[in-house]
Amino acid sequence: MAEKKTVITLVCERAADLNDLLDSQGNITDMSDVHVVKFPCSGMIQPLMIEAALKAGASGVIVCGCQIGDCYYREGNKMIKERLLGERPPGLKKTVDRRRVIALWLSRMQKQRFISEAKEFVYRMQALDIAEAAVPKTEPTKAAPPSP
Amino acid sequence: MTSSVKNEPENNWFKQIYNHFIDGANKLTLAIEDITNIFITSKYNPFYYHGALPQFYLWVLFISGLLLFAYYIPTIDNAYLSNKLVNAWTSVDYITNTLPFGGVVRGIHRYAGDAMVLFIFLHAIRVWFTDRYRQYRWIQWVTGVILLLMVLFIGQTGYYLVWDERSLLLTRMTVSALDALPLIGGPLKTWFLNGDTITNLTLSNFLFIHIGLSFALLFVLWLHYVRMTRPVLTPPPAVNFILVGAILLIVFLIPISSGTMANLNSQPNAYDIDWFFLFNYWLMAHMPMNVFWISMTAAAVIATILPWFVKTISAPVIPAEVVIDKCTGCSLCYRDCPYQAIEMVPAPAGSRFKLLATVNIPRCSSCGICVGACAFDAIDLPQLPDASVLTEIKSFAGAK
Repeated sequence: MAEKKTVITLVCERAADLNDLLDSQGNITDMSDVHVVKFPCSGMIQPLMIEAALKAGASGVIVCGCQIGDCYYREGNKMIKERLLGERPPGLKKTVDRRRVIALWLSRMQKQRFISEAKEFVYRMQALDIAEAAVPKTEPTKAAPPSP
Repeated sequence: MTSSVKNEPENNWFKQIYNHFIDGANKLTLAIEDITNIFITSKYNPFYYHGALPQFYLWVLFISGLLLFAYYIPTIDNAYLSNKLVNAWTSVDYITNTLPFGGVVRGIHRYAGDAMVLFIFLHAIRVWFTDRYRQYRWIQWVTGVILLLMVLFIGQTGYYLVWDERSLLLTRMTVSALDALPLIGGPLKTWFLNGDTITNLTLSNFLFIHIGLSFALLFVLWLHYVRMTRPVLTPPPAVNFILVGAILLIVFLIPISSGTMANLNSQPNAYDIDWFFLFNYWLMAHMPMNVFWISMTAAAVIATILPWFVKTISAPVIPAEVVIDKCTGCSLCYRDCPYQAIEMVPAPAGSRFKLLATVNIPRCSSCGICVGACAFDAIDLPQLPDASVLTEIKSFAGAK
């Protein structure tokens, strides 16, 4: 059984309102393996931060900004969306496992949607961790990619 | 400017009520938009183009206005041109009833004007409810108030141009309103009428004001957009078709017609009110003139100073800072900044690079988009350095 790893959530403080879900550490109370880092705008999230999180051992990264089209600072969520898709520099490195990154565009009112999406993502990441733990580490290229 | 906000005690009951109200309004706005998104997706959600909607109707007004201008004759009496009386009213009548689709173009011009005012109000309400009009955005708000006043006045001059009985009454009401102003009242009246009484020159002045101010709108619109990178000027084509379709539908359902021709010897005293443009004439008719002017001026002043009056909700802006020895002058932050707050200047002597990013402090919103754009850690929000964010991410990512 693989050890339980953390999912890092990088969230705009004006997007899905998670304030009453968090404990003093910044973890979601009923999902202790989800840690939330808040930003003034999702546009501040650097692809580098996603790479760093995965490199440091995070199981996955959730990026959450406001609904596309609506941004308090006009274009922040559009910027990070384009960066994640490689349409705007600086982009996400090609070596980053795309299965472990998810972007959610949720307004302040959509807390419940965030919870359900995050739960599903955590579940998927745990399945992925177990599947990858079963593959010998020495093998550099994946012969059969594990189903997400 | 607003740095003292956070230190003030939260015992101000007005501020608490106001904050409560704005918070609820913000939630309501976002909830309505979420529901809209379910049906038409965020790409076509008109709420996300709230500023572009009046701008689109401005183009509709320009084009339809150009067509009307080709046939409009700005006089009250030009009988010598032919056997028939040729004046503003008869030319509008000709446009409406004889010219193919003239009535449609006139209807589009009228209803697009109404729609523009309606959408300007929705635009203003949305930026107010979502708190997007203060601090680094004050110039957009103030120019917005000026634009609204200009649009209302342009619309009113449009009602004078038709030269039916309502036009005559509105002109006379305007004259008496201007007359009531101290000092500037007399000259304003002379300017408005282009003389001391209503003559042929009056209507040409109305036409000049109507068209000239419309072009002046473009200048104020430039100020309205000047600090915004990539302003959203046009809704998607699909939304545009719906906007035009809606106008056409109303044109065919409620065709435009003029009242009877204005007669300078008559005393018209009742008319239909277009509530989008003529509400102030209703007010004028229902209150003493000095009360009218004082309340109008007060409303305009309060609307203008609203951004400074409301120092609430969000924290003060702490501008981003460039780390000089890390900046490579790549200008990614400059390109991505949504408020044009970053300027690229020549790098100091001895630098390996040609350019250096600098922050224009009054424009900075402290959003951190520049931080997200920087691949070199060369720009930072002092209150949330990306080094500390990375440390937090790494420590929690590593924690089992």
